[in-house]
Amino acid sequence: MSGAENRERKSWVLLHVGNRRFALPAESVVELAPPVRLHDFPHTSRLIAGVIVRRGRIVPVYDVAPVLCGRESSVHRFYLIAERAFGSGKETSEAGAIPVNGECELATGEMQPPASDAPAYFAGKLAIEGENIDVLDLQKLVSASRNDPHAGNLAEAQP
Amino acid sequence: MKIATQDSAKSRRSRSTEPVILFCIGLQTFAIAADAVQEIRSTDSLATAAVEMAQAEVPKVRHLVERSHRTYFVVSGCAHFGLRVTRPALVLILRQIRAAVLVDSIERMAEIPTVYALPQAFQGSERQWYRGLTYLEDRVIPVIKPDGFLTPQEFARLDRAAKSVEARHELEGAVQA
Repeated sequence: MSGAENRERKSWVLLHVGNRRFALPAESVVELAPPVRLHDFPHTSRLIAGVIVRRGRIVPVYDVAPVLCGRESSVHRFYLIAERAFGSGKETSEAGAIPVNGECELATGEMQPPASDAPAYFAGKLAIEGENIDVLDLQKLVSASRNDPHAGNLAEAQP
Repeated sequence: MKIATQDSAKSRRSRSTEPVILFCIGLQTFAIAADAVQEIRSTDSLATAAVEMAQAEVPKVRHLVERSHRTYFVVSGCAHFGLRVTRPALVLILRQIRAAVLVDSIERMAEIPTVYALPQAFQGSERQWYRGLTYLEDRVIPVIKPDGFLTPQEFARLDRAAKSVEARHELEGAVQA
């Protein structure tokens, strides 16, 4: 494999949300956490289901299933913890958790551009085992939901 | 071994904790710094002193009370946090802020070692409501920011409304006399 190919073929973590598979860049993923207790309290932030405590840190949980799958996911949940950037620099990143179903897989592949009509939160797609898997841009996914009237119960304080 | 013991003792001494009051609104527990609360009264004991305010600009405030020559605006905790309406039994009268908060119950006093910053993911009104979060006995509990109950603009509106209430009472008193 040439140096150029090496640069392009990145590692991805494949995750299940609802009944679909998505991918996140492996370098952004911190860990797959067990289904620990979800703590919730009143807030008005969109998509946030609550927080979990992991390794002494309080980690916000983004319930992205309504945006990605159009409905809540009721399956027993693990949490995929990934870094989300705030602002421009890496120094302003924060760990966030996404509830996922089942086990995650590590895959290698070259990301292709997203479909022309794909939402902005799909950074591209991967062709793995004959399946086209959308690559998530976590920052855009969470931000985009602010303008999405279908993204869950968002207007009022939760719970 | 001796050195380690001394170090751990020093570490224990230097670890500061903060006394808080844990209170409940509905099923939700909150923490507020103990020194932010001047007085805790039952709603029954304040009922005769409470003056109804007919104003719609700040719907979470329906009453005011006079305590020690100060006017306190009574904030519904349920309305403030967007929780299901309950029947509050207690009023927390705050120390630095001219606000009192209707709550359901006091859980207990506690000492908290750390207040964690609210994660940046939270971008809504909760940034005004909470100083941060604490982790106590396997629970994450929001720590209240006392001055988050009413904004300066809301205080200005309520002060105007309070003046009109006072003027109306004076007028009614004069008519009766």
